[in-house]
Amino acid sequence: MYDLDLLEHTDTVNELLARYGVKFGIYKNNTFKEQLFPFDAIPRVIEKEEFDYLEKGLKQRVVALNLFLKDIYSEKKIVKDNVVPEDFIFASSGYMAECEGVTPIKDIYSHISGIDLVQGKDRNWYVLEDNLRVPSGASYPMIARELCRRSSPLTFQNTRLEDNRNYAKLLRRTMDNVNAGGHTVILTPGRYNAAYFEHSYLAEKTGAHLVNGSELRVKDDKLYYVTYDGKLERVGAVYRRISDEYLDPMNFNPESVIGIPHIYDVYRKGNVALLNAPGNGIADDKGIYYFVPKMIRYYLGEEPILNNAPTYLPFYEEDMKYVLEHFEQLVLKDVAEAGGYGVVFGSSMSRTQKEAFIELLKKEPRRFIAQEVIDFLDLDILEGSEMLPRKADLRAFVLMADEPLVWKSGLTRFSRNPDSFIVNSSQGGGFKDTWVLSQ
Amino acid sequence: MKRLHFEYDMHLTYSEPAKTSHFTIKCMPQSTDRQRVEALDIRIEPADSMEEGRDSFGNRLIFGNVNREHDRFGFHITGSVLTGLSDAETSERENMLGAYRYPHGLTVPGESLKAYLKQLAPEALGSALEKGIFLMHSLYRDFTYEKNVTNVNTGAEEAWRLGKGVCQDYAHILVTLCRMQGIPARYVAGMLIAEGYSHAWVEILHGNRWYALDPTNDLVVSDSHIKLGVGRDAADCSINRGIVTGGGKQQQQVRVVVKED
Repeated sequence: MYDLDLLEHTDTVNELLARYGVKFGIYKNNTFKEQLFPFDAIPRVIEKEEFDYLEKGLKQRVVALNLFLKDIYSEKKIVKDNVVPEDFIFASSGYMAECEGVTPIKDIYSHISGIDLVQGKDRNWYVLEDNLRVPSGASYPMIARELCRRSSPLTFQNTRLEDNRNYAKLLRRTMDNVNAGGHTVILTPGRYNAAYFEHSYLAEKTGAHLVNGSELRVKDDKLYYVTYDGKLERVGAVYRRISDEYLDPMNFNPESVIGIPHIYDVYRKGNVALLNAPGNGIADDKGIYYFVPKMIRYYLGEEPILNNAPTYLPFYEEDMKYVLEHFEQLVLKDVAEAGGYGVVFGSSMSRTQKEAFIELLKKEPRRFIAQEVIDFLDLDILEGSEMLPRKADLRAFVLMADEPLVWKSGLTRFSRNPDSFIVNSSQGGGFKDTWVLSQ
Repeated sequence: MKRLHFEYDMHLTYSEPAKTSHFTIKCMPQSTDRQRVEALDIRIEPADSMEEGRDSFGNRLIFGNVNREHDRFGFHITGSVLTGLSDAETSERENMLGAYRYPHGLTVPGESLKAYLKQLAPEALGSALEKGIFLMHSLYRDFTYEKNVTNVNTGAEEAWRLGKGVCQDYAHILVTLCRMQGIPARYVAGMLIAEGYSHAWVEILHGNRWYALDPTNDLVVSDSHIKLGVGRDAADCSINRGIVTGGGKQQQQVRVVVKED
């Protein structure tokens, strides 16, 4: 499938990535460390038919999640109809009462969704997580493809695969679809952010302005970009790469110095689009994840195409019983944590740890979900001249423009530690390009 | 029923010139089942930009900014309101009720408030209103009014442990206790006849209507209160929120006058 020639260029591509500043920042023990995001040249290859299946399932899932968000911030039919218990809404830190009654332009909440999947040894795909707030990662396979093509053009002449460099076009279409009139900007918290490379790369590729908070200003009921000579130019869409909490010190965290005072007030009036909408945290809460297949049935009247990993909610008595009986074979996740934190394997706990955990679980059952450990299909990575199997996942990107669009690629992340199941880049893993074959 | 005239005056002075200011003011009474606004006049100075808006809790607001050097900022609101038109307010925004039943921000109970509620055991009482009034009486008896012990960021649990505070603390504690009983409860910011400063109380849902309880004064609100805003806690309906760059030291003066016709 892939040419050996490409693999010989692993080092060249990694050097180029370093030169382009493709880095990933991580906070650990309160210090910020920037490190290279190691690239492995062996791509993950997905056959056309298989990706067609994923594409259908991803669209269905994201359409349902958008309907869920609209429902939660208005009528809450899904709660009234007892599909989702209200505890999972109102007690969740992802629910923001400040978003009640606010309708984003064209009813789109999650413009850019990052859906994390794994493939099991049984070849089935499972969704592990939905990321509907500020999912990052699309830029890495984009630039990796670009650099691979440059280093090993022959490889790509001989392979019929979908060109993934169209992501910028899809993103631009998504931003333009909701633009309320004026410039489109990408709002970055600055170069110390983990994903700063991505912010600047996407701005360059989409032709959007890369701005920080101090370059935007609210005047009357509109948002403006302040030019170098002090003129104000209207902004109609903001792809913001900062979290809800820091977006607007006048409406959310007053300590935020990277936000724009009153941006939320003009958003509320429909005069600017925010991608993604504030308040989305309620839909990618790990507790809500359990309900996504139910959501698909509820809103769309369809059977879910993609599976969740088998998940139990200790909140329900039956599930609690199952979890206690099968503790050793399950993975437990704290619903409030992200980035691979707050994940523990029942099998790896000592007896005292287990007892302490079970006590906590009984005290706060809503705080945890339990999942069967999926037997991942390993992907090979190249270490020196050796091919070694490693756990890997796939972050697929779904964009909601005038219609849902699935990017025919994705970020494949792998764990460098052979024993680890956690592939999150915040935990220091590497990445691969994802090739989707075009025939 | 009373006709109340009010004046709300907020004045900030800076020791050094301020470069920019952003403000959000939630100080505009609205007509409800209980009160009718007959006149309202709002002056904000200085302001380079000013817009009206409404938040998710239904409060009217004005947001804006000042983009030139200034050494003071203030607003002056006057109006007259007919109060006591009804004993309660019909519930609107029914979709928001969940938010008023769960702990949030300054209304998160800790061990000591949980123990207090357990000791009071209001479960035996009948209706939401009976429980609410009982909790109000108990709180009035067991909590002491004292200024300068708590501040605007003090939560219900902390205030309860201190055992004393002001109207904001009374309101937060009562809201928290009611919610622990499953009664939707919200924080109300407003003004009280002849007080000289702003006031806070509580609304609880009984049947399909919001009843107002003033735990600081141990009374069921009738016609001496003007309601300005509601929220899950004080932060949702703070009358005046602002950010300033520059300005040095700030001095704030607030004057509130509420008189009967």
